[in-house]
Amino acid sequence: MAMDPFAAGMLAVGAGLAVGLAGLGAGLGEQAIGAAAVGAMAEDEKFFGKGLLMTVIPESIAIFGLVVALILLFLFNK
Amino acid sequence: MPLAALPLPLELYQGYDTVSVFVGYSETDISVPVSKITTRFEKFEGVHEGKRIIALFVPKDKENEVVKLLQDEPSYSELEVPTLEGSAREKLGEIGASKAELGNKLEGLKKELEELKKQYTDFVLASDEYLTMETQKAEAPLRFATSESSFIIDGWVPSDRYEDLASTLGSISPRIYVGKLPEAKHEDMPIALDNPTPAKPFELLIETFATPKYGEVDPSALLFITFPLFYALMLGDVGYGIIIAAIALFIMSRFRTGGLHALSYILLYSAVLSIVFGVIYGEFFGVPVFNEFVNGEHEEGLLGIDGPVIGPLHTPVSRFANVESLLLLSLIIGLVHVYLGLIIGFRNVAAEHDLKHAFFAKGSWMLILTGGLLLIARVLPSLRAGAAIAPDPVIGTGAILFVLGIGILVKGEGGIAVLEIPTLLSNVLSYSRILAIGLSSAGIALAVNTLVKDLFFSSGNIVLIAAGVVVLFIGHLINLLLGIIGPGLHSLRLQYVEFFTKFYEGGGTKYSPFGFMRKYTEE
Repeated sequence: MAMDPFAAGMLAVGAGLAVGLAGLGAGLGEQAIGAAAVGAMAEDEKFFGKGLLMTVIPESIAIFGLVVALILLFLFNK
Repeated sequence: MPLAALPLPLELYQGYDTVSVFVGYSETDISVPVSKITTRFEKFEGVHEGKRIIALFVPKDKENEVVKLLQDEPSYSELEVPTLEGSAREKLGEIGASKAELGNKLEGLKKELEELKKQYTDFVLASDEYLTMETQKAEAPLRFATSESSFIIDGWVPSDRYEDLASTLGSISPRIYVGKLPEAKHEDMPIALDNPTPAKPFELLIETFATPKYGEVDPSALLFITFPLFYALMLGDVGYGIIIAAIALFIMSRFRTGGLHALSYILLYSAVLSIVFGVIYGEFFGVPVFNEFVNGEHEEGLLGIDGPVIGPLHTPVSRFANVESLLLLSLIIGLVHVYLGLIIGFRNVAAEHDLKHAFFAKGSWMLILTGGLLLIARVLPSLRAGAAIAPDPVIGTGAILFVLGIGILVKGEGGIAVLEIPTLLSNVLSYSRILAIGLSSAGIALAVNTLVKDLFFSSGNIVLIAAGVVVLFIGHLINLLLGIIGPGLHSLRLQYVEFFTKFYEGGGTKYSPFGFMRKYTEE
């Protein structure tokens, strides 16, 4: 069953919004943590591992957005 | 030199008892106001770079009045007269010549310095290293307990090196006594990592994160497998792989020891594996290597042959055509990796406390993960098909395991631990970045190639083709840099965030043996 072109277009827009907005959110979260982690590293180099870990935690949000987009595009676009 | 504009020899500006001399720039003719003060004055004029320059000679007793006058004159600015003899013009030439001479001399000395540096750098560095070692040796007794005729040294040595140490010390003198002290508290013990040679470079990644604490599993050997695997799954391009391997080999040849050497080893493993996955994906700088069927159409690859068949796998497995299966593969890898982390965590807790603790702390998570997995695996396909969810034994088992796991977790770790359950889902989903980073890398390469091929090369215009080559080069260079940084950091993140958090605590003190790493000298 071919998809209604309007629905297919909306699907693509939705996928784009999912990735873009999720990336925006992840970036907002990461900026504060990243700055704090760099500050902590300036005090003590050994903080690098923990700092990197903390910094990339919000990145999962971006990945979620991507997963939603992929699911939209590849699982529902039939 | 502005004074060269005046017709006076330099010695005439100085050394008078009754005459004061003023030299400076002045826009207005100051003879008129000066003549009001005194008639006994003499004035010389010249032009330097378009500005009038004057030398004014007045009797000493009128000096103050002239100073006042000149101070009120806005265009006047005073010049300093050097204490020299002869005409200013000649002097200028002389000074210029000697300046050039001194410049030459300076150049010569700089060159000499450079040669001395070349000749003696190694010697100075080696001497410094040798003397540092000697100082450390000389200072060592200060760290040990000594009496008039004996001394005691206590320190740490890895257990398997103990016999070695004892026999070496014994061979120096029969009057040295070596013995073991009763084992100290675990927290005090320094940690020495011990891995087979191929996995040794990965200790760097462990140390960067944190030194393991005593009794913990050292995951270096696991990183040896998973880090390059994740990296290669993301990069997966023969061309990029070859270039990165060459870069790694170059760094390796330049740095024989230390962090960069270890890093280049890690990069080399990853790059070689990337070449392997590049063959499987059939990508060479984003260009398909083997013949492919895309949307039922036969497309000729770079080599014009079909891809090799590896077991049940028919290459090439195009990444763009197989997003769904690659996403599934990524998530399965994630599931296995997270399980592995939980199993190691179970072992760590069991070793530090007991099985019961391990079951509460890690076993509960395994139950939740297993239960959740069964539920999702069963419910998701029904949702997708839009069918009603029919209860069956698998869903029942999943639900029971899930609830049981939560119950054990709450009992073991407290109610707040429930908040952490969603992280399990996000941890597994996080592995979808293996697909995502790979797609973006392949996507950029494809975009560059398509752009250059359709916009520049197809035109037939020689200038456009040349521009196309530049675009091609820059595009792939950028993608190459991204290809080193992106997969590297994300592969590392999967280790640090998703894997290590399941078992790794860290916080040990690194074992730093007594001795010196030679860099510039040999024994």
